[in-house]
Amino acid sequence: MSGGQLLLFVVGGLSNAAYLFIVAAGLSLVFGALRVINMAHGSLYMIAAFVTVVVANQLGLTLGFWGGLVVAVIVTGLVGALIEVVVLRRVYGEEHLVQLLATYALTLVIAGVVRTVFGANYRTVKPPAAINFSVTLAGNSYAAYSFFMIGAAVVIGTGVYVLMYRTTLGRNIRAAVSDPELLSASGVNVARLYTVVFVIGAALAALGGAIVAPSQAVNASMDTDVLVLAFAISVIGGLGSIIGSLVGALIVGEVLSFGLQNQYTNPYAIAFVFIIMVIVLTIRPWGLFGKAEQT
Amino acid sequence: MRVLERRHWRWPAAGILIVGALLVPPLAGLGEQLNPDSSAKFPIFLGTSALVLSLWAISYNLMLGYAGIVSFAHAAYYGVGAYTVAILFQRYHVPVLAGLALAPVVAALVGFLSGLVALRAVRLYFSLLTLAISQLLYAIAFNWYSVTGGDNGIHGLELPDFLSDYSILYYFVAAAVGVCLVLMFSLVRSPFGAALLAIRENRERARSVGINVRAYELAVFTIAAAFAGMAGGLYALFEQQAYPEQLYWTANAQPVVIALLGGIGSFLGPALGAFIYTELDNQLSKNFAYQFDILLGGIVLAVVLLAPGGFASVPDLIGQLRRRFSRQAESAVAESSGHAIEASDPGRAARIKAIQADRLPADTREPLLVIEGLSRHFGGLRAVSGVNLTVHARDRHAIIGPNGAGKSTLFNLITGHLKPTTGRVRFGGRDITGKPPHMIAKAGIGRTFQITMIFPKLTVLQNLQYAMLAHRGRTVRPFGRADRMYRDEALDLLAAVGLGPYAELPAGLLSHGDQRAIELAISLALGSRLVLLDEPTAGMSAFETQKAMELVRRVAQEKSLTLLFCEHDMEVVFGTAQTVTVMNQGQVLTQGRPEEIRNDPEVKRVYLGELEETA
Repeated sequence: MSGGQLLLFVVGGLSNAAYLFIVAAGLSLVFGALRVINMAHGSLYMIAAFVTVVVANQLGLTLGFWGGLVVAVIVTGLVGALIEVVVLRRVYGEEHLVQLLATYALTLVIAGVVRTVFGANYRTVKPPAAINFSVTLAGNSYAAYSFFMIGAAVVIGTGVYVLMYRTTLGRNIRAAVSDPELLSASGVNVARLYTVVFVIGAALAALGGAIVAPSQAVNASMDTDVLVLAFAISVIGGLGSIIGSLVGALIVGEVLSFGLQNQYTNPYAIAFVFIIMVIVLTIRPWGLFGKAEQT
Repeated sequence: MRVLERRHWRWPAAGILIVGALLVPPLAGLGEQLNPDSSAKFPIFLGTSALVLSLWAISYNLMLGYAGIVSFAHAAYYGVGAYTVAILFQRYHVPVLAGLALAPVVAALVGFLSGLVALRAVRLYFSLLTLAISQLLYAIAFNWYSVTGGDNGIHGLELPDFLSDYSILYYFVAAAVGVCLVLMFSLVRSPFGAALLAIRENRERARSVGINVRAYELAVFTIAAAFAGMAGGLYALFEQQAYPEQLYWTANAQPVVIALLGGIGSFLGPALGAFIYTELDNQLSKNFAYQFDILLGGIVLAVVLLAPGGFASVPDLIGQLRRRFSRQAESAVAESSGHAIEASDPGRAARIKAIQADRLPADTREPLLVIEGLSRHFGGLRAVSGVNLTVHARDRHAIIGPNGAGKSTLFNLITGHLKPTTGRVRFGGRDITGKPPHMIAKAGIGRTFQITMIFPKLTVLQNLQYAMLAHRGRTVRPFGRADRMYRDEALDLLAAVGLGPYAELPAGLLSHGDQRAIELAISLALGSRLVLLDEPTAGMSAFETQKAMELVRRVAQEKSLTLLFCEHDMEVVFGTAQTVTVMNQGQVLTQGRPEEIRNDPEVKRVYLGELEETA
């Protein structure tokens, strides 16, 4: 493998890691604060991808994608708020079993709705005109959009960091993670805080879905594809840890990139991810950056 | 779920269901005669499909309903069963019936290996891992063209001649499903099933009565995979095909929805659910395939949300409705308002056989539990730091100290719920450092917890019976009836702690004080030599406290039990303890006889004085 090829795979891995990190960070944030693992996180991502495609293709090449992204985040955020108020609120504090089944039910409902509204066919959208070109590095051609994805992940990751550690909202979320009762005793409306957290999580799923849309065919099974990877990232990095999501996303993104390059390993790239999960679990059953859960 | 109110109609309902299933082919034949346009083949085909779904869903319910496990890999094992039959037939020309016999074996093997991996993780992570396993198996089925036929799957399996008649095929499938159901039914009633229920109800408690939670979860996961493989094999038989989408994780919606439709609380409920589901599927899935998914999701949501406390409470809701009609059970609950302890008979408790503590020499200076340099750090926090402590046989040893002194952490280190950072724990000469909780429980250390730890939905009697089964190593038995074992012994013990009248009530309905009494009874039933009591009288009235401690003292004395307890109520401490250790900030401050401790100026400063000031 030449240096140029290596670079190609690494960049491919980073652009995978970029959207996976954005999605997994949302999953982790929600789990950290709400202690609910949202099986429907991938479904929210899928909704956003479809909305982006439809809106962007309506608006045209210059502004279309950006408009699609904004609309997708708003729509998905609203769906997230609806889910939190109607479903999740009733299952906080329940056994994991109940929460898993409730959010699993949502994946079925959303998959059905998406297929009904958008059909089961593939859809595509072009990247915005300003970044729809390619660059040549060390003899290989790269889509500028890959670098845009990586940049977007850095910006969004920084945004999440600032939100969590530099704002009152972030302080409240972190307090909710460690002791929700104390937080409500100190006068914070915890129910509303939870809704806000879930909407932020949904917005992150939406950003991931919108950003990924121009880079691959948008289809009705992308909810599962991303969910499996986001779970793998969470298991590797540790649920509830944003840093863990970053490290997990980098590992999974690169493993997929290298695994997919070779025709023999291609179908089983997911198997390599799985093997890494097993290794991590053997050493740390709660992930690299996760906290051991009691019982 | 073994809730009493449901017993009356269980057998008749099951009978109607079985007769109904047997009548499907003749009724379809009758339909054909009455209306020549309709073929009998189709309804019988649907019936066969429902039978297979019943088996699949009931095997899912073994995990969900009995052990409280959510797996997303169950469809994959079903698919493995179907592929086993299909691949063996197409590649190796093995007759389908031979393939069918192998299907559960292969599925169990795959289930066991993947369960070994997935069960390294606890609950939530476990569920995530099953999803990954499922998608991995799907990827193999989808991509391994030369063996699995890739996205096309495998079609055109040939049945032996005698099965070519669809009515006979129906009865053949019914017989296979019937045998599997009988096996599973006997399993859930056996001591093995009792261990699963105990795990579902309270993992921590299950561990502390000596159940190896992981091993039982792996066992039920493997067994469920075997039956799913059988269901998948039967599917391949009557549909004559196998295809990759069978393994896709969303395919788990079928067993989940069917189990919920039929009520996860009952054994045969999912079979009824399977027939309802098949009919819904038949009506809707052709023209409204996508909307059918929405309906399935809607059903799951409705059951989960509309039953307050989750679907696990559905059987309770039914129980409550029934109680509205017959007031007896309700009044019995009202009676249980903490009077059990009053009615207790310490002398009798001490005489009961169930308490099997080894007789130890009367020399109370013999060290039973020896702790050396024990530490546990949580990040920077030294919860327990360099603790040396010796508990002598037959002593009643109290540990006191302000909140955060490390008492509960120390208990958790002794019982194996936490692993020490450094240091050793020896019990009766054996090194038990870092051993898992169920082994330590079996070695003879019993405990009660700071928060009440019982199996809330099991009856008071079952709480004791199952603890005895687990402790005596009987829960490995996959046959027999758990509810009939150790019944008299358990009833005797319940009478002794004053719980006799409540034996048949779900333990969770009893008052706080009475639940404490159940815990004590469990410790006694386990025949522990050393019993750790974490704030044994927390939440009890003064009178309950007095009676409870009297019971504890009397039993400890007569059965040569050693007690180690922590307690904030100084009257209890100085009234019961023979030795008192004072802890502060994770370390042992001092140790001595109660009167020495009471007069120690240092102790007064850090603890007793503080209490008096606040009092």
